[in-house]
Amino acid sequence: MKKLIPGLVMLLTASLSSAVYSSPVDDIAAFQGFFAERFKDVSLEQYKDGVNALPQYADRRGNWELLLDFPPYEEHVEKGRKEWATPFANGKTFADCAAKWPAATAYPWYEAETDELHTVVGDINRCLEENGEEVITNLKHGKIARLVIAFREQFNGQKMNVDVSHPGAQKIYEKGKQFYWAKRGQLNFSCADCHVHSSGQKVRGDVLSAGLGHTTGFPVYRTKWSLAGKPLGTIHRRYGGCNNQVRASAFKPQGPEYKALELYEAVMNTGVPLSVPSQRQ
Amino acid sequence: MATKMKIKAGKSGGHDVLVLAKHPMETGLRKDAKTGEKVPEHFITTMKFSLNGEEFAQAHLGPGVSANPLVTTNLTSAKSGDTVSVSWVDNKGESDSAEATVS
Amino acid sequence: MKRRSFLKASVASSTLVAAASMGLLAPISVFAADWPEAAITANTVDDALNAAFGTSEMTDSDAITIQAPLQAENGAVVPVKITTTLPAEAIAVLAEKNPAPMVSLVQLGSAAGGVYSVRIKMGTTSPVHCVVQSGGKLYKATQEIKVTVGGCGG
Repeated sequence: MKKLIPGLVMLLTASLSSAVYSSPVDDIAAFQGFFAERFKDVSLEQYKDGVNALPQYADRRGNWELLLDFPPYEEHVEKGRKEWATPFANGKTFADCAAKWPAATAYPWYEAETDELHTVVGDINRCLEENGEEVITNLKHGKIARLVIAFREQFNGQKMNVDVSHPGAQKIYEKGKQFYWAKRGQLNFSCADCHVHSSGQKVRGDVLSAGLGHTTGFPVYRTKWSLAGKPLGTIHRRYGGCNNQVRASAFKPQGPEYKALELYEAVMNTGVPLSVPSQRQ
Repeated sequence: MATKMKIKAGKSGGHDVLVLAKHPMETGLRKDAKTGEKVPEHFITTMKFSLNGEEFAQAHLGPGVSANPLVTTNLTSAKSGDTVSVSWVDNKGESDSAEATVS
Repeated sequence: MKRRSFLKASVASSTLVAAASMGLLAPISVFAADWPEAAITANTVDDALNAAFGTSEMTDSDAITIQAPLQAENGAVVPVKITTTLPAEAIAVLAEKNPAPMVSLVQLGSAAGGVYSVRIKMGTTSPVHCVVQSGGKLYKATQEIKVTVGGCGG
């Protein structure tokens, strides 16, 4: 069975062997085209619902629909909104910082002057630091997730559109793309193995989600995490968990690897609307 | 403990009354990860629903109900301005309540 | 002497409820205060139904609709929503293979519609019986809910 579509193979061998970067525009077309073909009745917008959008998930979609009758994340969203609105000791608020940020649909954004990739998590901590407050050290769940939700939810329904036109951004984008397609861990899987080639197929009782749409619902509320008392998770929390599950060492949240990966995924999600937070298994 | 209530138009008519209670609903079988001891049973036993002070439903729960239970009942002819309230007790005698107005 | 099941009392008083809803009698509390321990701790479906309703005889009814996933995402949180057009005095949810099958039951007064929804724990794939007491008799609809071992997602 053909595992890779020819176009993707060509783009990858070109980029890996000769350092000639295929354009993100071509990559988006190949990536989104693959899923349009694989899941013919799923529109681009529906990928914001994650695995719930896939026809193979029909038996389990009821879980999600019924839980959304009274979404379990509501109290966390309300708490996050209060935390977002609470002024710092110096009287300023997150909103003052965010007024200078791009829209959530443009994250992660590249700052050419400093050759730095900004994530929402990073900019929240930068805001705290600039205003004399303590930065948040736990970058996976709890307060940081609530604050990211408070920022990103303001852009719900708006479509992802990250600018990687600058060569510095493209370098990071290429690193993220390599990460996504590279095998890792004892189980020797790449992100693509499960979320592209095997998307919609089963891994024991679970259905593998499509890579398209990943990150548009983050931070997520996971039933599994809620039973351990830490229901919310940032994108980098999930990346670490996924790496652990293929028996690879997880990288640090907000380290260069996951930031690059987040950029690649954000670009692949061009055109998919934000839906924050989301309820997941 | 915080209990929340939502009143929505019922999908099969009337008004659905949704109550989300914060409660561990321990079965008494789970072992505490740190001490190795079984965490004792602790669950909501009865939840009473009232419309303008008059009971219209009484839900009995047990340890087989999920933690942070969501319970939904329905009112056939509630009117705008009516008050719906819920109160529950658990097997330790703890309790909580909530109320909302039909919009 | 064994305490009579509270719901037997409510069957008798359901006639009062019916009468009250016709405006003939002022409504009295049809709800006994006791938590139905025997029903909720019983280890079989029949024992639980007998303890709650005084009978375990049920008739299948398509006037009962179950909204629940065919496969649970997590056995600890399985949402089940029951709707019925039968005039319901009580609705019960039983997960047959649970050690104590009767997970929950609700007593409904005249102002209540035939709806009950609750999130249940299930240890294993099992038929889930949604039982409605109407006119003193028991009716049911059943749906199997699968509980599987998770994959990479947990």
